[in-house]
Amino acid sequence: MHSGVLNTNQIMRQVIYALALGIIASYYFFGWGIVFQIVLGVATAIVVESAFLRIRKLPIKPAISDGSAVLSAILLAISIPSIAPWWIVVVGVSFAIVFGKQLYGGLGNNPFNPAMLGYAFLLISYPLQMTTWASEFLSFSQGFDVFFNLSSIDGLSGATRLDDVKTQLSLGYLVHELQIYSISQSLISIGFLLGGLYLIARGIIFWHIPVAFMLGILTTSILLFISDSQLYVPPQFHLISGGTMLGVFFIATDPVSASTTPKGRLVYGFLIGVLIVVIRVFGGYPDSVAFAVLLMNMTVPLIDTYTQPKVFGR
Amino acid sequence: MPNQLGFDGGVVIPNPYPVEKVEIIQAPLPNQVVLPLQQRVGDQAIPCVKVGDRVLTGQEIATTKDSFCVPVHASVSGTVIAINEQVIPHKSGIKSTCITIESDGKDEWVKNPGCGPDFLHCDTSTMIEYIRISGIVGLGGAGFPTHTKVARAQDCHTLIINGTECEPGVMCDDALMQYYPREVIRGVEILLHICGASRAIIAVENDKQEAFNSLLMYNHNERISIVHIPTKYTSGAEKLLIKALLGVEVPSGGFAPDLGVVCQNVATTKAIFDAVVESKPLVSRIVTVTGSGVEKPNNFEVRLGSSFDHVIAMSQPNKRSHDIRMGGMMMGVDVKDGKVPICKITNGIFVNDQSKKPAAQECIRCGACNQVCPVSLLPQQLYWYAKSENTDKAMDYNLADCIECRCCDYVCPSHIPLAEYFSFAKALHRKTTDDQYRTDIARERFEFREYRLERNKQERTEMMAAKKEELKKKMANDKAQKNKVAAAMARVKKSKKASDDA
Repeated sequence: MHSGVLNTNQIMRQVIYALALGIIASYYFFGWGIVFQIVLGVATAIVVESAFLRIRKLPIKPAISDGSAVLSAILLAISIPSIAPWWIVVVGVSFAIVFGKQLYGGLGNNPFNPAMLGYAFLLISYPLQMTTWASEFLSFSQGFDVFFNLSSIDGLSGATRLDDVKTQLSLGYLVHELQIYSISQSLISIGFLLGGLYLIARGIIFWHIPVAFMLGILTTSILLFISDSQLYVPPQFHLISGGTMLGVFFIATDPVSASTTPKGRLVYGFLIGVLIVVIRVFGGYPDSVAFAVLLMNMTVPLIDTYTQPKVFGR
Repeated sequence: MPNQLGFDGGVVIPNPYPVEKVEIIQAPLPNQVVLPLQQRVGDQAIPCVKVGDRVLTGQEIATTKDSFCVPVHASVSGTVIAINEQVIPHKSGIKSTCITIESDGKDEWVKNPGCGPDFLHCDTSTMIEYIRISGIVGLGGAGFPTHTKVARAQDCHTLIINGTECEPGVMCDDALMQYYPREVIRGVEILLHICGASRAIIAVENDKQEAFNSLLMYNHNERISIVHIPTKYTSGAEKLLIKALLGVEVPSGGFAPDLGVVCQNVATTKAIFDAVVESKPLVSRIVTVTGSGVEKPNNFEVRLGSSFDHVIAMSQPNKRSHDIRMGGMMMGVDVKDGKVPICKITNGIFVNDQSKKPAAQECIRCGACNQVCPVSLLPQQLYWYAKSENTDKAMDYNLADCIECRCCDYVCPSHIPLAEYFSFAKALHRKTTDDQYRTDIARERFEFREYRLERNKQERTEMMAAKKEELKKKMANDKAQKNKVAAAMARVKKSKKASDDA
């Protein structure tokens, strides 16, 4: 007896398909790096998860085929710079699967988003590799050489626009003096936005978190922008920069680690948005989706407790 | 009446095995019937016939004094051939005492008392008694004794007649409304008379146009209205139906009569008509036979106590092996085989080809379940606590309000049998509170005993002390007396001596 709507495996697969547009856009601008990251990330996830399931004496096939480990690996692989060396993704994915998921008891039991836990771990441990991004399209052989440390990344890399703007502002430049928009970043963001809208249309994710998330970003950044439009970048910059769109539709909406009540989802999403802007503007790291999500993951039990719906007859 | 009839949640499930036209086929008399004495609630009825007795159709064969139980009637005429333990349709496959009657094929009826067509001259208590002696229980599936329900629903202002068909796939109420609209309407009038309600609402789902029309055609009573409600699963649940029709919620832990409302199923209403007007006790019911294992899903009017197989055989079952389920696809119970008897609450029989259930996966907290929960619970949280047997926390999340409708199961992408966890957690909670209660009682008793012993001891000491004091006083008194006596004696002696000297 079942409604005939998607099962858990199909849900995971649909989310993976929805990522395609953003990944293709990223490939279009920065080349083969992202492909290598994803392939090695997924392979690592499967190996590590299988090994851990074996240690836990659990059946391997059903857990691998649910697609959750693969999805986490892809999310992490596309979050890290495409020109990061191969061991970054291996270390990150292993950490995500082992410490983010399996140690808590596997799918459904992890309080934190595994991909973001892996990302935060990498960013803190290897800040250099994690903040050096490709600045142009890399061919297969270029990408291959960079990925396996066979050639230097000099001349192919740079900071992201988000990072750049932050540095310039801290050096005393004003917003109107900066080049704040980047065509590649905008198009990649649109790719993830479309994928996210597809998921909402298919009923795989609910609208609450994305909408509240974007509202949180807009409210905070508009307030800052109104207070001083030369010190603080315009709100739309926050929406299209860094991992915002990926975070809105694919990270914050991870059901396992998100709030699960309808009202709670609004609170959860909104506060992630607020935190992202606050950390980007006042914090030490250029991008902050991972930290904002992880911080809010911690508050989920509290949010869920205080946002229970009114029960029939009570 | 609110414009928007409905309630939150629930799922729309089309009839999985639709038929072109809803019919009722009269099932032939069975060769033998097995009538369980234990019904849904209350005590077991006590047999008042012996093995070898000849009984007539409609004759009382087991009786009871419990208000949560009803008498059992012979559903065919014939001979009692056994009174023993047999498997009854129950999810645990338990056995219960049953009376087996071998039919003589004559179907001779016993003459019972009744009010006749002009029932308005009968008083309420007489009618309730007729309902009781006819063995009527809620035929929607709950099986609660109707006489007790109506007796407790005096002073209600609204009578709701549930014609919603509780579950997708079951068609027996739809068929009954189409075939017996006159009886249903007359039954409603009897209920109005008994309950003193000012109005009655017959709720019919909007996919049952024929049933709606036939009721409309026979309804000439302005106190009775017939309304369409959206076709959605769980709208047949009493409290949700009240919400859908009247826009009010029965308070948690409360009952419909608290709001001045009483609900009855259409089939029960017809049975009340049969009992009060036609003087016929409840000896048959309409059963839907459907499922992937039968070629021709249909409704059968069948004598109670016939085996499931008796009606399944008439729906052209295929040759494969089947899983048999009593009730609906959602809330029904799987039974062992088709040999179990049809009882008063058997509204449907699902005969499904055996299939492998998909294995349950981990909960990913997607929240599909809380979207469909008709009572707005958070099944994903309840599951978490039920699984870890943390019943206190589950109760905080209002586990007690779960109606076990299985809407959450139906939409769960991980195929988790959520309602089973909840029913288990409820039982566990009952047991823990029960154990706790017993421990509390035992401890109180012990403490009271200690206190009593202590008090006795103290009282005794006090008593002893008081007695001692008294004794002392007495002794002191005695001493004083003695002294007095001695003094007197001395005086006497002295005076005597003085006189002797003189």
